[in-house]
Amino acid sequence: MRRVSLPLWIASGFLYLFLYAPIVVVIVYSFNASRYGGPWRGFTTEWYPAILANADKLDAAKNTLILGVASTLIATVLGTMLGFGLSRFRFRGKKFFSFLMYIPVVIPDIVMAVAMLMFFRLVRDRFGLFQLGMTTMILSHVTFQIPFVAIVVRSRLVGMDAGIEEAAHDLGATSWQTFRHITLPMILPAVVAGGMLAFTLSLDDFVVSFFTTGPGSTTLPILIYSSVKRGITPDINALSTLIVLVSIVATLAGLLFQRPRDSRQHPGGKL
Amino acid sequence: MAGEANPRLARTEVRFGERLTAQAELLRSSLTSGPGILWVSLFLLLPLAGIGVISFLTRGTYGEIELPFTIGNYRRIAGFGLLGFDAQYPQIILRSLLLGAGTTVVCLAASFPLAFFIAGQPERRKQLALTLLIIPFWTNLLIRTYAWQILLGPDSFLARVASTLGLAEAGRPLYPSVFAVYLGMLCAYLPFLALPLYTAVEKLDWSIAEAASDLGADKLRVFRHAILPQLVPGMIAGIILVFIPATGQFVVPDLLGGAKTVMLGNAIQQQFGPSRDWPFGSAIAFVGMAVVLVGLYLQSRSAAAREGEGLL
Amino acid sequence: MKRKLLAALVTLPFVLLVACAKKEAPPAAAAFEMAPVSAAGPCELNLFIWSEYIDPEIVAAFEKEFSCKVTIDLYEDNESMMAKLQGGGTALYDVVVPGQYLIPVMVKLNLLAELRHANLPNLANLDEKFVNPVYDPGNRYSVGYQWGTVGIYLRRKPGKAVDETWGLLFDKTKQYGSYLLMDSMREMMGSVAKYQGKSLNTTVPDDVRAQIAVLGDSKARSQGFEGGVGGKNKVLGKAVDAAVVYNGDAVRGMADDPETYYFVPREGGVLWLDNLVVPAKAPHRDSAEKFINYILDAKVGAQLSNFNQYATPNKAAKAFVTPEDLANPAIYPSAEMMEKLEFINDLGDGNRLYDEAWTQVKSK
Repeated sequence: MRRVSLPLWIASGFLYLFLYAPIVVVIVYSFNASRYGGPWRGFTTEWYPAILANADKLDAAKNTLILGVASTLIATVLGTMLGFGLSRFRFRGKKFFSFLMYIPVVIPDIVMAVAMLMFFRLVRDRFGLFQLGMTTMILSHVTFQIPFVAIVVRSRLVGMDAGIEEAAHDLGATSWQTFRHITLPMILPAVVAGGMLAFTLSLDDFVVSFFTTGPGSTTLPILIYSSVKRGITPDINALSTLIVLVSIVATLAGLLFQRPRDSRQHPGGKL
Repeated sequence: MAGEANPRLARTEVRFGERLTAQAELLRSSLTSGPGILWVSLFLLLPLAGIGVISFLTRGTYGEIELPFTIGNYRRIAGFGLLGFDAQYPQIILRSLLLGAGTTVVCLAASFPLAFFIAGQPERRKQLALTLLIIPFWTNLLIRTYAWQILLGPDSFLARVASTLGLAEAGRPLYPSVFAVYLGMLCAYLPFLALPLYTAVEKLDWSIAEAASDLGADKLRVFRHAILPQLVPGMIAGIILVFIPATGQFVVPDLLGGAKTVMLGNAIQQQFGPSRDWPFGSAIAFVGMAVVLVGLYLQSRSAAAREGEGLL
Repeated sequence: MKRKLLAALVTLPFVLLVACAKKEAPPAAAAFEMAPVSAAGPCELNLFIWSEYIDPEIVAAFEKEFSCKVTIDLYEDNESMMAKLQGGGTALYDVVVPGQYLIPVMVKLNLLAELRHANLPNLANLDEKFVNPVYDPGNRYSVGYQWGTVGIYLRRKPGKAVDETWGLLFDKTKQYGSYLLMDSMREMMGSVAKYQGKSLNTTVPDDVRAQIAVLGDSKARSQGFEGGVGGKNKVLGKAVDAAVVYNGDAVRGMADDPETYYFVPREGGVLWLDNLVVPAKAPHRDSAEKFINYILDAKVGAQLSNFNQYATPNKAAKAFVTPEDLANPAIYPSAEMMEKLEFINDLGDGNRLYDEAWTQVKSK
């Protein structure tokens, strides 16, 4: 039943192609010999060394990565806990808080950005904390990432067969042991999926980042959005190409170096 | 349920094999859900309440926010403008909801094959397929959307195919158009449906499907009654994560739709941008959010009534 | 009990907001004393500017000459920049580059620090037109940076002369082919106003209604709205025949493709001007003024204009600007055209009229 049929291969292949088509365009146009973007004017590789020598753009890339990784880690942990807590336990006001968790998903970017900007300002005026910069950006990103992770993890937990966990408790495992060795592996795909979504959200965020950043903490999206008024220049395409390349290489490397999984059934499937 | 109303020491519940006193349950709730809730409440909900207050304030001559309190902003959204009555804001909200719904449908159609495809791969390839799925989304959305402008341009491969097939005039670009906008939206939101759906497909209990098929159901019925119900939680998570943000999206419709209409996102951006009318912008944002949240709430109530899966 | 707590939590931000809003920013005079004077210590400068608006070599040369470290942050529109300043950015950045229409507003909102003219000897280099301007008498807060126009950029049709009028876009009978309008509220409506012979700062509702009618009709016949550079790129890429663009983008386009052409129509158009200002609580006020003075230098001013091909407000710099640029009417319009160009002003409460009008045009 788990064999993948030919039509499915074709449909999925098509979809992957569709997703990568713009990436191919980006890569191709990173070799465009036109300084200001615009139509194709000839082939050149000059933008690549230029990017690598451009400290500002490299700094932005570095900031984006730090921001993305840091916020994703925090948000994944907190979001997973939240998703787990909301789906398992009952407490007063649970419905209300569940509802509230949707607000970061519903709220328009700019309203969130302005709200956080004003909040940081208020706190700064009173307590001197929260100077605008990397810290405030991370705080802001985590805020909109948590619900995404929580929603995904929770969806995996809902309706999940509790038999294994019950068995563990019957055999004397503590809650923490049960969680760590039984539950967590079962929801791991959801945690990873949530984390990936969170990372994506952070990497692509402009509005919230712009309003909560400080001098020297510029991220790539801010750089790109600000430059777009001047046009998508080939060096931006070159930078994006490099990012895609690095991601693919990192993924392949990660897979190659992974220890081979045991052949025993992994929990969550059939017993 | 009985144990929920009043935390008293004597009462205990069995939670997934564990006997918990109400107190212990409260402790666990706080430890797990507490940090997340606290974080979001502190950094967002509190400031958001401030924005809500602002929506009832007035714009000063220089764009300041000042007293008096007024419902003028909300009246304006209902259509009472300086140039006469014009119900443009309800139309804007409706238009955005439509875009969100349309995007969700398109993403659903694309997510199902992808989710089953990835879930059907052997272990190593699964990770690869998943990561390959999401790598394009680590390229900035703006850049990808501009790339679509090139892909749909007047002399592009796709445009030529379309004109040969008679679907479009020769030499004209395939954007601005509704087709282009949905293409762009699919490209923007696919993983937000595909990934949650995948997590549901991955834990599918195929034995139920096998049993149904053994009992004589044809493929369609097996899918509809044995497989689909198991996927509902994942689907719903994905639908929320696509529908809501897509409703607020305006960059993609602008770039691939010629910026000829005003979406909810445009309207809000305009108030926090060139018009510098934060009270009005806050009001529009709140009305937009309220519409979506009310929708979510009603859906969860009706699902609870049917004892089905709600969005909450 | 819980309800009271909730109520308190909800009202708390409001209370704090109003309490702190009163203390928004100290009046300019106090900012004078409060801004830290960095006498000793390493020189630093935080510049907040549009992307590609300053020659990196100018920044590098400034860093070298004054042993100063310059950090550049970018923004993509004036209002985001203002919002940032209002949210605390006045204490983050040393030099910002707003459009001239925002300066009276920023002064009223106490976002700017006064310029100490004693530190700006090069101020004398400014052209008379930009000294003591209407929006900032005495140049107390600002110094002109670059200026330019908004007009029509199109692909010439071989053998046919171009009728230089806004009617190419706004008049069905004179339509030039496929075209794009500019996705910018005041610039686009202002162009319609000039076409109709009115001031682009009019607040007469009937004038605005007339603009809505013309623009709505033009939109229906157009390929849509686009930001300035997008329009120029599409004309270059032959996706459209004409677009409304900023002159700097057009000049680059014309250099790229001599078959394209930019002009400000004979009815007149928008004149824009960006300025250098120092935020109220700038952390390095001395460096800021050093920087502004540096930009006002004749050679540096010319280098700037040669880099981004916009017009310089610096009379002394004109001696060093490339002669082709000086002679180019797309960069330096004729005196006769200058008479017909108008600044966009902030209209205070009148802004709402344009906001409603623009929303109407865009959503129909």
